[in-house]
Amino acid sequence: MLVIVASRTDSHAQLLAERWTTRDARLLTSRDLSTKGWSHRLDNGSAATAAVVNGCTIASEQITGVLTCVPAITEDELPNVVADDRPFVAAEMTALLIAWLSSLTCPVVNRPTPASLMGPGWYPEQWLRAASDVGIPTCPIRRRVRRNGEEPLASGQRDFVAVTVVGDAYFGDADPKLGDRARQLAKAAGVDLLTVHFLDRGPDARLATAELAVDISRPEIADAILEHFARGPRC
Amino acid sequence: MLILLWGVASEEPLAAVGAALDHLGVPTQVVDQRDVLDTEIDLEVGETVHGEVRVRDRRVDLSAVTGCYLRPYDIHHLPAVADAGPDGPSWRHADAIDECLLCWSAITPALVVNRPQTMASNGSKPYQLDLIRRFGFQIPQTLVTTCSAEVRAFWQRHDTVIYKSVSGVRSRVSRLRPEHLDRLDHVASCPTQFQKYIVGTDYRVHVVGDEVFACEIRAEADDYRYADQSSVMIEAKELPLVVEERCIRLAQALGLPVAGIDLRRTPHDDWYCFEVNPSPAFSYYQQETGQPIDGAIASLLVAGSRTNGQ
Repeated sequence: MLVIVASRTDSHAQLLAERWTTRDARLLTSRDLSTKGWSHRLDNGSAATAAVVNGCTIASEQITGVLTCVPAITEDELPNVVADDRPFVAAEMTALLIAWLSSLTCPVVNRPTPASLMGPGWYPEQWLRAASDVGIPTCPIRRRVRRNGEEPLASGQRDFVAVTVVGDAYFGDADPKLGDRARQLAKAAGVDLLTVHFLDRGPDARLATAELAVDISRPEIADAILEHFARGPRC
Repeated sequence: MLILLWGVASEEPLAAVGAALDHLGVPTQVVDQRDVLDTEIDLEVGETVHGEVRVRDRRVDLSAVTGCYLRPYDIHHLPAVADAGPDGPSWRHADAIDECLLCWSAITPALVVNRPQTMASNGSKPYQLDLIRRFGFQIPQTLVTTCSAEVRAFWQRHDTVIYKSVSGVRSRVSRLRPEHLDRLDHVASCPTQFQKYIVGTDYRVHVVGDEVFACEIRAEADDYRYADQSSVMIEAKELPLVVEERCIRLAQALGLPVAGIDLRRTPHDDWYCFEVNPSPAFSYYQQETGQPIDGAIASLLVAGSRTNGQ
């Protein structure tokens, strides 16, 4: 079984689950986290878990791969919860997912960190620093916060050229050198899925930013993720 | 050398570290969150990290900062921000200032006590517990569940059980009691964490670099932090060397130059670890024990600044 952890309103994730029907792909949303059946155990010997996926309780061992499409469960996901309790319930659900996803031995893309269900949860500036550290040319990011009500400035908001990394593969209409750089950054960050944005498509293009979300509506990316699962866990 | 202190200036741990730095004659700048609506920031990140914080007429060159002690308060709880409401410009301004300083503290080459990303592990207690057990500590048997039948079975197996939040929100320990049975089915709505109650004596261990300050806590309450403080006894104690070293390794592995580690020693001399607090309110323990934790943090910030070549 493949599990896609997604927002309950994510239509792309829904379509992906349908595309992967033959692989028994199922969506796990916030609804499942308020459904009877979760059991995540920890003791001094081992962790044993049962999860609720698409309304059904399953043993974690049945899962062969997980794709995570949300950084956290947010208050917006919990319309049925009393408004005052939404921040707390959202935090509790996210905390369980971090622990549970971290305990799985099957491929989980990306593996969660305490900062994000989708991976390192870095600020754009952290991606830039990580890129600089491995020798990738970057375009500076500026932030400016003023008292006079002027909207905060975050520089670099323009059309970029996206290169998507899926494991060892990359996708994007850009010079192969940028593909190599995107993979280099993904490796440095310890992630399998990453979208890297460059200022243009030429070989010397500077990196503008990067993000953990990838466009799962693109068939070639969906297929590459499936292939990535087939390779099994990274050693 | 310049040490930046960020938080609410009058809050005890921040004020104590500030005073200890003053005592050492180290230049400091305080960015008080209560001044957030009078604060402006410029930040530029490229090959290097540059920036400036301005609070009214005062300027802090972020490039000159060699060490930073963070105790950021939830900015939305400050009256000036809370009164503005989530849709107001003041709320958005406060969010942007917070975001900018958190971002800077994540990437600055200065020593940061502690960096935001390393503080996050406490946001999922079962995740952190799994890390803790890898360092040789015992951990309480734990169940996070949405199933009341699982809770009943767990309770039956362990006789005495406590419950507490899975995340860092509303983090308070309570004992599961028969009167809770009526509400047990509510766990289906929200994952809830239960743990076997461990009999023993509480210890709070503050790790500051490679220094350890331990104290023993005696209290009748399930969570001494919320008990009548006249019934809580806190006393400085030495830890067995092996436990002390384990605490240092655990804090280092979590990337925390300063950590508050909650331990319990059983009558059989087993050491359980419940959690690692990445932003410990050490002043509470310091007042009772006289342990110079503020001075140790100040010295750590100075040493870190020197390591950075300043």
